[in-house]
Parts: sequence; structure tokens; C-alpha cells
Amino acid sequence: MRSESSMKVETMKARTSQPSATVAFSNSFLLGFVLVFSSAIGFCTLSSAHYSTLQAGTSDSNYDGGGSNISAFSRFNRYIMQSYYEKYENLFDSDFQDFVAQELPFGLCEVLPHDLSFVVRPSILHRNLIGRGSHRHLTSSIRVNIKPEPIYELPTHHCELIIIERLPSGVFADPFELQHLLQRGAYNAIAVFGDANLELPSFLSNRTAVEVHMDIGHNFLLRHDKESNINIELPLHARYPPLDESGYWEVKFGMPDLFMRCSMEGTSQNQSCLYKMPEINGSELGYANLVWKIPSGMKAHAGIVSTLTFVAALISAIAIAATSIFHSGVASGKHLKES
Amino acid sequence: MAPIQFRALLIVSAVLRVVLILYGEWQDAHMEVRYTDIDYIVFSDAASLMASGKSPFQRSTYRYSPLLAFLLLPNSILHRSWGKFIFSAADLLVGLFIRIILKLRGVPEKLSMISVIVWLFNPFTFTIGTRGNCEPIVCALVLWVFICLMNGRVLQAAFWYGLVVHFRIYPIIYALPILVILDPHVFRPGQKPRLQYWNRWQDSPQSSSVTRLTQLLCPWFLLKSALTRERILFSFISAAVFFLFTGLFYHLYGWDFLYEALLYHLTRTDPRHNFSIYFYHIYLQYHRKLSILEKLVSFLPQLVVQVVLVFSFAKDLPFCCLVQTVAFVAFNKVMTAQYFVWFFCLLPLVLAWSNMKLKWKGLSCIALWVGGQLHWLFWGYMLEFKGQNVFLQLWMASIIFLAANTYVLVSLIRDHRFSPVFAQLETTSKDSKKLK
Repeated sequence: MRSESSMKVETMKARTSQPSATVAFSNSFLLGFVLVFSSAIGFCTLSSAHYSTLQAGTSDSNYDGGGSNISAFSRFNRYIMQSYYEKYENLFDSDFQDFVAQELPFGLCEVLPHDLSFVVRPSILHRNLIGRGSHRHLTSSIRVNIKPEPIYELPTHHCELIIIERLPSGVFADPFELQHLLQRGAYNAIAVFGDANLELPSFLSNRTAVEVHMDIGHNFLLRHDKESNINIELPLHARYPPLDESGYWEVKFGMPDLFMRCSMEGTSQNQSCLYKMPEINGSELGYANLVWKIPSGMKAHAGIVSTLTFVAALISAIAIAATSIFHSGVASGKHLKES
Repeated sequence: MAPIQFRALLIVSAVLRVVLILYGEWQDAHMEVRYTDIDYIVFSDAASLMASGKSPFQRSTYRYSPLLAFLLLPNSILHRSWGKFIFSAADLLVGLFIRIILKLRGVPEKLSMISVIVWLFNPFTFTIGTRGNCEPIVCALVLWVFICLMNGRVLQAAFWYGLVVHFRIYPIIYALPILVILDPHVFRPGQKPRLQYWNRWQDSPQSSSVTRLTQLLCPWFLLKSALTRERILFSFISAAVFFLFTGLFYHLYGWDFLYEALLYHLTRTDPRHNFSIYFYHIYLQYHRKLSILEKLVSFLPQLVVQVVLVFSFAKDLPFCCLVQTVAFVAFNKVMTAQYFVWFFCLLPLVLAWSNMKLKWKGLSCIALWVGGQLHWLFWGYMLEFKGQNVFLQLWMASIIFLAANTYVLVSLIRDHRFSPVFAQLETTSKDSKKLK
């Protein structure tokens, strides 16, 4: 044993006298880091002129799909909901209905027809909430057809259907997930408005609205007796709902709001007409009762959960503390037996 | 022979990680469920924002230091997997550091190889770097601080320690044991500290708990021992580095940085389900404000355990940090799977001093710990993907997981051979305290 320990002492001395590789390594590492760090400072403080196309934000995230034929709208925002949020802070049904009735400039078009409500008829083929847990898909199938009535000559135009889903409180859409969908070419444009903070429970967050733009076709208004079927699938997520005695919180979905926006191609001025589609009465079709039951905590549990949580934490803490104190002062003699 | 074996090990690990990164790219493109972690996409987005001169905090849920976004700048220039390669490289660096530390402490070759394998081939470890999680960088920095301390480079250790606390706040719990270990009997100016070597058989004796407790309770002794040169230097330099980085990024990015990267982590109470025992309690009480007493009571177990662990094991720095981290994660208000890497990187450092045999004590610890997680995950799946109200069962599963964590921690402590990292330097005859 003694020769072993003396050998160890010698090798240890030998080690300390040589400049170790780790010292050299550490010095070069440090120098490299300082260089990288100084360039980081320089980079962060300089702003470059190159802007990425990605715009990320918390409440107002939107992303434009490439290759859209629809020209920019000079008079109002690309998104209806954007105009809404410029005036109102939160999404309430009454405010939204006021907004649609008063604010939106409908039919401010010179060439295209002012009112399409007699011509264009939307109907909902089916509407469903697919999935079972906290992450579901809201699918809607909408049919838009033009009634076979004579319509005057129209210049070449292009229309898109705008669907606004006012999501009930407690359900939200993830803007980044929708971006991913957009990149797969499903829609022209899609945006989420309102509170998209995924972590807050529902009683602390505001309602969100999803606005989807879908291409409905070239010279749509001239196509008599033709139908256009639009299918939308929106991935939605549930927030933690308020506490409920039954253990479930019911969330009811209303009907989407439909608009049509047509613009003319090839004109020097960007002109667009925005039409509101007639309301679809969901109760006739049996879609008024699209319900999502989200599991919620139960108030009755509060007392026992809090008590037992702290008791468990206390017991664990005592067990760990006792073991540490007992085993930290153990004399060396105890383990000699194991040799 | 030995360095070649280790080199081969590193190469195989590197190849494995590269294959996983490539597989991850394939899975992201072809399957509905992504291989890449959602956090990685957050980092990349923040980095591309920074590349265009904007603040990375414009990306919602980016809650890290701007240094991370800076590291990932080549994501938008070179390839989007650049970050994953950096994290996997940090992962391999941790393996290298583990070996360096074990070699410095004189652990025999076979044991040190096994310890390195426990890190490099732990399935949890290699998936975390290849999925794009930044934790391997933090682990590498922590181990580097240990190496600096073991080589006697206090200033360097202080610099890197300040940096790692800026990056991720949790290493602040290591401050106390590091300060304890900066003993004037160990660290002398101009002299390298003497490391104590690995010993197969015996525990190294230390002063009894009673002695240490009386010393701790005497204020004069405490003051005299606290204000030593190395300790003051370490505290000052690491605090200065931390505030320098914080101040710099506050100047660049304002309140956003301060809130998202720092304050959020300190005040975070997430009511959504996670492994922590407190999640259901927080959800049930979310609608009302908790009183000061309640907040204190929930913090008390954590505080008591940390203090007792430091008091008992500080001189054996890697072991102390390991048990502190396990306890910290177990008693935290929020516990997610990525926190486990924080102690996985420290585990290989103590295996050589453990009396625990794989059969059956070691296997039972692993089985209980993994089993506790799987049980929790089952109920989590029922809640999140089947929409059933199983909050109570899920909460019980997290209590059971805490019990499993406690069992593992108690077993680790009982089977550990306490051995301080440093040996006391030979002092003058006036003060004869020699270690056997």
C-alpha cells in the first residue's frame, strides 16, 4: 500500500510540473471566445439593410403566401381583422357586428357591381371538429355558387373568398403552425389576430380570430351556374379553462363570417370591392352546436391537492436532509470492510 | 492504447449524432410529427431576426440570452441545421471534459471509459442535442468551470461562471459550494491546488457534522472564512461578468430582454401540466393571488434541501452539484424533460466513487425513475390527446415521480464514497493540519 501511494505522489508531482494540455487549450479557447464575442457586439449594434420576409409578432402575426395574383389594396388593410383591431382592442361579437355594419367600405367600386347578395349564394356543406384531445381541427366545407341571372359585362377580375372564424374564448390558433400550412400552399393568406400566447389560461387571455383568404377563381362572377367548393381545415388548441364543478368546460363554435373580395387585373389603380356574404343560419343545418369539451380542474380538489402537495414536498425534503446529514460525517473506518 | 480507445469512442459518437441530425431533417420533411424540437425553431427565427438587425425578442417565446441567437446566425446563412451541429459538438465536448476531469482525479482507465459512455451513449443525451436543444452548451460550460477550478485558474473559472449564469440561471445554485471549495488551505496564490486522488476503498474523513455546524453558527468564524482572497475575487469577477452581459444586452434590447431572458424564469408559474408536483396546485389557485406565507411555504422545502446538501457535501464538488441539481429539479415549480440533462452531465463524474452495484440497486433506481416518468406520461397522454379529465391521477403521478426522485437521491447519497476534490496544501509548522 505504501509503495502504491508513494508512486501516486510521484506521478502527481510529475503532472503538476508539466504545462498541461488543458492550460494551453483553455488559453486558446478564451482567446477565440473573446474574438467571437467582440464580433458579436459589433454585429448586434450595426443594423443591416437586409430584411427578411418573415414577420413574427405576438398579437398580429400574418404571413403572405408567394405568388398571389391579387394586387395590393391601397385603401384598406390586406386583412379585414387588421382594420378591426385598429379601432377596437378586444374581440367582442357586438363590436365586430358594428364594425361590419358601419366601418367596412362595401361596394366602393366603380366598375364592379355594388352588391352581390342576390347573385352569390354561399352554403355550408359540412362543419366539424375533428380530434379528441386539446388539439383539434376545425373543418368547414363551403360552397359558393352564382345564381343563373343575367349579369352585365364585367372586366377581367379575380376574386378571393375571405373567411373569418371568430374563435370562442378558450381556443386559439398557433400562428407558426398556420404559417407552416401556408408554406404547403393550402391558402392564399392566413392570419391570426388577438392573443396567441399559448401559455395563459383562458380567463387571462383574449379571444382570437383567424382570417383565411382563398382563391375562388378567375372571372368568378361571370361563371353562371358554376359552383366553387372551398375546404378549410384549421388546427386549433385549447387553453386551460376556468375551474368547473363537472370537470369539463364547454366551448361553442359559431358560424364563420364570409366575405368576397374582387379586384380587377391590369388596371393602373388598385381597385377592389369587398362584399359581405349573407349570413348562414347555422341552426337550420344543425351546425350551431359544435361543442368542444375541454377538461378543467375542479374546485373541490383545491384543499386536498394543496395539502398533500406540501406534505409530499416536506416528507421528501426531510428524507433527503436526514440522509445527507447522517452520511456526510461518516468515519472512514466504516468502508474499510468493503475492501 | 487508452487515448486511441477514447478517440474511437468520440468518433463513433460523432457519427451517431450526424446520422441523427440527417435523419431529423428527413423526418421533418416527410412526417407529420417533427423530430426537431419546437424550441429550435424559436431559436432559428430569433437568429434570422437578429441577422436582419432586429431584436430577437420580437419572436414570441424566445426566452434566452441573445448570445444564443448570435451563435445560430449561420442558420440563415449556411444551413438551418447549423445550430444542431453546434449543440452536438458541445455534447461531444462534455464527453471530453468528463474524461479530463476523471483523469485529473486519477480515476483508472476502465472506470473513466464507462463513465464517458454513460454520457455519450445515453439515449436522452444524444437526442437532445440533435433535436436542437441548447442544454449541452450549458453543461459544457459548467464542466469547464470545474476544470478551471481544478487547475487552479480562479479568474478564468469566475469568468465562465458569470457567463453560464447569464446564459441559464440555474447554475447559480453552484455558487455556494464553489465558494466553500475556494479554501485558503487549498488555493494559494502562485501555487497550483493539489488534487486528491481516486481511491477504491475508503471514504475520506472530514470534520464531523457537529464541528462544522458550530463553525457555521459562529459569526466571527464565518466572516473570517468568507472574506478570503480567492472567494472575494471569484464573487467579484463572476458578478461583474454577469452584470456586464446583462447591462450590454439591456442597452441593446431594452426591457424585452430583461423580462424574457431573466425575470420570466424567476417568476414563472406555469399552470399547464408538467412533471412538477405543484402544477395542479398552481392551476387550482391561479385565479387568486397567493399570500406571502403561501409562497414562502412552497419555497421552503427547496431552500432547506439545498442548504443541507451544500453543508454536507460541498468539498466533493461534482457530487454536491449533482445532488443539488437533482433536488433543485425535483422541487422546482416547473419541471420539463430538458432539465434532466442538467444532472445527466454530472452523473458520470461521480460514478467512480459510488458503491452502488448495477445489479440490483442501480437497475432498481433506473427502473423506478424511468417507470415514474412513463406512468406520468401515460396520464398526460390521456389528458392532452384523449381529452379526459384525469387531473387528479396526473397529479398523483407527479407525486409518485417525486417519490422516485427522492429514492434515487437517497440511494446515491448512501452509496457514495465522500472524497473532496482538493487536498489541503502543506502549511507552515505553526498551523499543522495535514491530511492523511
